[in-house]
Formats: sequence, C-alpha cells, structure tokens
Amino acid sequence: MAIIELHDVSKLYGFGDATALALDEINLDVLEGEFIAIMGPSGSGKSTLMNIIGLLDRPTYGSYMLSNRSVAKLRPNQRARIRRDKIGFVFQSYNLLPKLTVIDNVALPLAYRGVSPVRRLKLANTMLDRIGLAERQYFMPRQLSGGQAQSVAIARALINNPAIIIADEPTGNLDSDSSLLIMELLSEIHNMGTTILLVTHNAELTRYATRVLFMSDGAIVHEEFTNLGELAPSFRRSTYTLTVKTEDDDLAGVSALMKAIPAVEAPPQKRTTKQSNHWRKKTKTNRRRS
Amino acid sequence: MKLMTVNHIKFALNSIRQSRWRSLMTMLGVIIGISSVVTIVSLGEGIKHQIVGQINNLGNNLITVRPGSINTNTTSGALSFLNIFAGLNDSNLLTIHDTQIIQQIPSVQLAVPLSIISGPIQVNQQVYDTIPVIGSTSDIPTVLHQTLEYGVFYSNNSSVTNGAVLGQNVANELYPSTSALGHSFSFHGESFVVVGVLNQFDIAPLSIDADFNNVIFIPYSVAQQIDPNSAPLYEILVKPTHLSSTNSVVNKIQTNLLAAHHGEQNFTVFTQADELTAANKILNLLTELIGAIAAISLLVGGIGIMNVMLVAVTERTQEIGIRKALGATNRQIVNQFLTEAIVISTYGGLLGIIVSVLINLTLRILTNLQPALSWQVMLLATVVSVMVGIIFGSMPAIKAARKDPIDALRYQ
Repeated sequence: MAIIELHDVSKLYGFGDATALALDEINLDVLEGEFIAIMGPSGSGKSTLMNIIGLLDRPTYGSYMLSNRSVAKLRPNQRARIRRDKIGFVFQSYNLLPKLTVIDNVALPLAYRGVSPVRRLKLANTMLDRIGLAERQYFMPRQLSGGQAQSVAIARALINNPAIIIADEPTGNLDSDSSLLIMELLSEIHNMGTTILLVTHNAELTRYATRVLFMSDGAIVHEEFTNLGELAPSFRRSTYTLTVKTEDDDLAGVSALMKAIPAVEAPPQKRTTKQSNHWRKKTKTNRRRS
Repeated sequence: MKLMTVNHIKFALNSIRQSRWRSLMTMLGVIIGISSVVTIVSLGEGIKHQIVGQINNLGNNLITVRPGSINTNTTSGALSFLNIFAGLNDSNLLTIHDTQIIQQIPSVQLAVPLSIISGPIQVNQQVYDTIPVIGSTSDIPTVLHQTLEYGVFYSNNSSVTNGAVLGQNVANELYPSTSALGHSFSFHGESFVVVGVLNQFDIAPLSIDADFNNVIFIPYSVAQQIDPNSAPLYEILVKPTHLSSTNSVVNKIQTNLLAAHHGEQNFTVFTQADELTAANKILNLLTELIGAIAAISLLVGGIGIMNVMLVAVTERTQEIGIRKALGATNRQIVNQFLTEAIVISTYGGLLGIIVSVLINLTLRILTNLQPALSWQVMLLATVVSVMVGIIFGSMPAIKAARKDPIDALRYQ
C-alpha cells in the first residue's frame, strides 16, 4: 500500500521573471516499509521534496496523498498534528534544542501530544535506552559527540512511533564511524517496518536502501531498486570498494558487511545478472506482501 | 495544555536565570512601576492610619482656632490645606483677648493659647537657634491628652522661677548625656529651669499640628513679658466639656470671634475631623499623581518586555522551526512565548513588591512615617504585572507562531 503518493507535484519560488522551479512535476509512490535513498547534486530539489513530503511546505501544483488522504486542504494546525504523529524528522545539523537536556529533547514531541510529564520521561528514557544513551539522559546537547547528538535526534524522531522518518543528510556532519552508527540505527528502524526517506550524498549509504532516486533540476531522473546491503547498480562500476558476500555475512546482516569494507582484500567478485534479478524479485515480493 | 504550561514556565525561569542581567534590565520598568504603586498606596494608608490615631490621641473634640481665613469646608481640600500654611505666617491676628472670649462660652472646658517666640537658646556655652519656644498655660497637657515622662508641669501662678517643660526630642538634643531635669538654659536674657519632660507625642505626617516633641513650653505670662508688644498667638486649642457639644462650640466660637473682630473673618475654627478630611484629600491627590507616574512606568516596562520578546523571537527563530517540525501547533508556540513574557513581568512584579517592602522598612526606620502594606495591594500589584505580561507579550508570541516552519528552520 502506498503511504505517500505524489502526483505531478511542482514547487515554484519567487514571482515573475525571478521564478525558480524547485520541483518539476514529480510523480512518486512510496510503499509502506520502503527505505528510499535520494541522491543528487545540491539544488536538485531533494530538500524541497522532503519538506513537501514532511508537510513543512506546500506544493505549488499537484496533489499529495498521505495515507490515502489528500493533505492539500489541511489547516496549519492539522498539518502540525500530522507532523507530530506520523512523521519524524532527522536533520543534518541534529537540531536539538540547546537549552534542554537530552531527555527533555527526546520527550518534546510527547509534550506537544499532551502526554503527562512522568509518562513522557519514562517513554523518553526507554527510547534512549534503545539507542544506548540512557546514561547520558541528563547531559546537555553540547556535551555530546556528533554521533551521539544525531542518535538523540533519531530517538526524538521515533518517540511518537511515526510511520515515516525523513532524514535529510543525517550523516553529513559525521565521521565514518558515527555515520555507521547512525545508519545502523536507521536500518534497525527500517527493519521494524518504518518507511524511511534518506537524502544523502554518500553512495555507500545506498547499501541500506531498497530504492535509490536520482534527482536533478527538480526532477527524478533515474530510479533503481537495490538489494539491502548492496550498492545501487549505478555506483557499482564507479566505486572502489566491492563487497564479498558469504553466507555468514548474510546471516549477520548489513552491519557485518559494513564492518568488513575497510578490510577488503579479496579480488572483486563478478556478479551475475541472474543473481541480481533474483534479489530484485525478492524485494518486489516483499513489497507486495507488505 | 496545562502540562505544557508547566514546561513553559520552567523553560522561562531557566532562560531568566541564564541571562540574568538582560532579564533584570527588562524587568526594571515593571519593578519601578509596581514598587512605586505599592509604596505610595501603603504610605497613604499608613498616613491615614497615623492621622486617625493622632486624632484619637488628641481627642475627637479638640477644636483649633488659627489666625487667617481658611475655609476648610470647600470641596477642593488641597487648596484649603495650602491656606493653612499661609495662615501660619499671618500670625498677629489672634490675641489673648480672643482666648478669654472663647473661655467665656458656656460649654468650653478649656481654651489654651499658644504663642511662638523665636530666638536663640543658650545651654552652657552652646547656642541652639532652631528650637521653637511656645508660651502656653499649664492646661496644655490636659488639652493634648499628654502626660509627663518625669518632673512636673509649671503652674500658672508660680512667678518665682521661670519653669520650662521640654518635648522629648529637645530634651535629648539639649542634654544628650544627662537627665534634663533641673538644668537651666537662657532665652532672651531670661534664665529658665527645666521642671519637666513630656512623653513622646505620636505625630502624624501631613498633619497641620506642630510637632510638640521638638518644642519647649514656657509659661504664657513669661512669654508675654519677653515679647510684650504683640504676644502673637499662632493657635488657640479649645476643649469643649462634651464631645457632643463640639459642633455647637465651633459655631459659638465662630460667631463670638466674628463679633469681636468687627465682622472680619480673619481666623479659622476647625476640628480634628476637618483636618482628617484635608489630609485625605491631599493623600488622594498624591496617590493619583504617583499612580499616573507608575502607570507610565508600567507602560514603558511593558514596551521593554515586548522589545526583548521580539528580539528573543528573532534569536530563537530556528528553535521555533524545530518545534514546529516536531509538531507544535501555532497555539502551542503562542503559549510558550506568552508564558515567558508573563513569567518575566510577574517576576518583575514580585521583585517590585520586595523592593517596596524594603522601602517601607527603610521609611519606618529612618522617618516617623508608618506605611501600612496590605495583602490586597500586593495581590493587585501581582495581577497588574501578569496583565502587563499578557498585553505586551501577545504581539511577539503571535509573531513567533506565524513564522513559516521552513524559513524558521533555515534561519541561522
């Protein structure tokens, strides 16, 4: 079932001669449980698309159905409530409130839902426990490392059990170890059935995605389905690192693969198209099932 | 909503604590406004209280006759009050003869003349210039309902020695280390012996009675000898036999004196109640004036709060964006910033109340004023400061809520 349906969505900025086309008749269906990586150069409209999907912005033209419901005519407060209950945002610059403690930051969306303070802290504590930062709950955001801060931001995005997580370059400010940590976290969330939209410049991260969208000048120019743990086909030719997949790796999952990358020594293994197709079919069936 | 408000209050208190100076400067207008209102109202209440207390001490039935024309029955009390001071200078119109006329009225128990003689007082080698000396009869303690702390009051008949009775403050000033009793001083070449010291008078501020704690009483006959040509009386105190006869006595004094002065109204007869009315009118005028000043100060303070909140809204644009992205509705954003403005102004109001309490204490210690702080005034001040927060916090809060989430998120 498509959770997000965009039909001919365009976004214009400015007036008259200064009009800029940020999105050009985008058509996109996102199924529940998909992990979509969106790639493209700066200014290609990735963030605008995320803002429209996240109900922070409105399209100039076109229709947007969220969970089979048109959101065009919603009032600002209704949109705010949908953002609160259905969508979790993860930003490049973490966007934690600097004057609130870690646990208060995580509990903030609950506060806007009217959950009692005690219950709020309890839920936030559980969430922090899940991301392994329970002992830092009374730290201030400035006392955390980048990876930890982004983990907290993810915990905050997850606290209301949203159906969709929108992550706009979540690893953009992080080193590779922290990026790994954050991607593992997102991957875990994806495994639990949450739909994830990830904007990234890092081709490596497409390993976590089930579909990769390439954007340019406000349009989706290319689309590839990919297997979990594998690079998108377009990147396979151009990257330096290729994976060695064994049965053990399959069992260990994505994280084991990522850990293995720096230590790759074996010669690149040529993949047969048959194999790829097999994987592709599998993902399709998965999607149909969900 | 309630749960959120508690959060907002905590958050606001936190931000006040984090930028103490800025918050204090913001609150200053409200602090000044609130503290001046509370102080002036409590001062007014205190003074009224003191005047009523004084009147009860002196007795409701005490009638004062002063030279000069003062119409205390006019509706504009303030003007008549000013005339009372004018009357003090115009002091050669009442004579001892008038006292005798009043004494002859049937229901008058006592009529006591008071004449002021100026001149230096010499104690040993020291000269005091500013102590007023009042010539009066020995009936003055009875009229004023006052007793002596020690010694006796001079009698009218004793012509052997020049006895003098000192007010409490004068006794302390002239003889700081020893008891005043039995010491002597010279005045206009005459030598006087201190025979008694009066107890402390409760003197109310804004009262038109002289402060009897700061005067020396000498016998009227001696005063006449010192200054024989005029012996000016600055007032005659009259005590009727019964409280109920006060008004009729006032009327009789008025008619009899008018006849004696050949129909010229160059004197004034008034009771303690008239004095209270006059003082009340002055106090009300003062309260209105200071109230207006305080209102202006509150207005300026409110504008200060609005200004700081506008700056805060701009400074925290990104925070607003984040909160909106996390699902805060416009109303929740309004509530957050409004709560913060209210917390700042209420905090200022409470500080203002504390300042006014300190001012009250200082006034009580340093002056003879006794301001009365009432909880009603404090409650009103708190309510007013909350109102200031609501009125001046609304605009910035609405401005915050109207921000576009995307622009707010991108704001650096």
